[in-house]
Amino acid sequence: LEGVTTGSTFVLEQPRCVFNDYSDADIWLVVALEKAKATFNNSVAPGTAERAFQNFPESTSAYMTLNATLANYPCPKPDGDITVLRVGSETSCIQDEERPTCNGPLPGPGPYLVKFLALKGSEPVAETDWSQPIMLRAAKSPNSITTMDGGYSAGMIALTTILSILFTILLAGLVAMLVFWGSDACGGGSSTFSKPEAVTVRRYNTHHVYDQPAARL
Amino acid sequence: MAKSDDCIHILQGLLVFGNVVIGMCGIALTAECIYFVSDPHGLYPLLEATENDDIYAAAWIGIFVGFALFALSILGIIGIIKSDRTLLLVYIILMLITFAFEMASCITAATHRDFLTPNLFLKQMLERYQKADSANNNDKRMTEGVTKTWDKLMLQNHCCGVLGPSDWQEYTSAFRFTHKDADFPWPRKCCAMDAQGFPVNLDGCKLGVPGYYNSNGCYDAISGPLNTHAWGVAWFGFAILCWTFCVLLGTMFYWSGIEY
Repeated sequence: LEGVTTGSTFVLEQPRCVFNDYSDADIWLVVALEKAKATFNNSVAPGTAERAFQNFPESTSAYMTLNATLANYPCPKPDGDITVLRVGSETSCIQDEERPTCNGPLPGPGPYLVKFLALKGSEPVAETDWSQPIMLRAAKSPNSITTMDGGYSAGMIALTTILSILFTILLAGLVAMLVFWGSDACGGGSSTFSKPEAVTVRRYNTHHVYDQPAARL
Repeated sequence: MAKSDDCIHILQGLLVFGNVVIGMCGIALTAECIYFVSDPHGLYPLLEATENDDIYAAAWIGIFVGFALFALSILGIIGIIKSDRTLLLVYIILMLITFAFEMASCITAATHRDFLTPNLFLKQMLERYQKADSANNNDKRMTEGVTKTWDKLMLQNHCCGVLGPSDWQEYTSAFRFTHKDADFPWPRKCCAMDAQGFPVNLDGCKLGVPGYYNSNGCYDAISGPLNTHAWGVAWFGFAILCWTFCVLLGTMFYWSGIEY
């Protein structure tokens, strides 16, 4: 799952087949800062100011959310089902003091510890161990992206070099042509050729043809 | 004299043939560059916003060079058949000017293609996509262009971000300013859409469940057409110039042999 951790949410496996003996208990998710692990008191009720999402992390170091019962986590887990909980998905109640058990987005990159706690009434009856610390993704600024680190490709260098050489040769040829315009040094002698002029041939009558009649006189 | 007459005729024939090929290639170059300038993939707004749109300038030059090559090839054919020194001199000089312009076009296209790296598009996407406030009208226009182009790209090519949806998680962006991370780990357009244009499964998309979101990056869809554009202009132009080089050398040799 690409969205296992994002900047303000993370994904947990549902606690299937864990709280099997507690079918009438409420199962809560506890999210805490690392420093709350040692002093966490299971008896503090959810929904109070000490466990309200809106006070986290300024005035409290843990909150409780995602209330469920065993019916929400049937056992055994059917194959192929995606059984996850997304912590941080509710954005509508972030500021709503009336909803202290809001599953709101986490305010920082962490690290956070979680555990599940089963309460019967207000008595804690079962719990899981604390999880490993969960770090969320920290985003970098786009100014850190370097855009000018690509070098020049070999093709472009070859193209530029060859074209420059060709152009230089042509320019040299043009200069040579113009310099030797007048002289016969290049192309003089046997390799010159004439323009194909239009040659007209006029019939030339020699004198003696007309003299004959005159001779008879 | 018959032998050198034959040689002359052969040289003339070759040069006329060379010019015919130049003329046809000129028309082909014009057609190709008009196709590229028309931007069939709609990627121009991305380049305009990076202020790196010189491969389009190279294509524009290509259009005019193509016409010039065609016109000059006709001039060249006439000059060779009449063996007119002045005409051929004009032809050679104008061809050299066209050669220089086409050389500029090829080198520009090839060089600026090298600037179009994934990081360039990534930075621009993060800074401009769905940016809320703009400094001036020009900025606003570029932002709208980038946003529309990216939306179209992500929808049509079933892709997300430049390298993948994680681009939106790894970096902060203008998009992140206005859209909460919990609701929008990546833009809605990255979700698999149904026929009406709504996400098939929004929760699946937000979680990143395979099948409900686009997991590829869009860089291939961007760089493919741009590469074709740049290499088409650069290497076809290079081929034409190599051929033109040979024809011009031949024409110079022919010119120097004409009696005046």
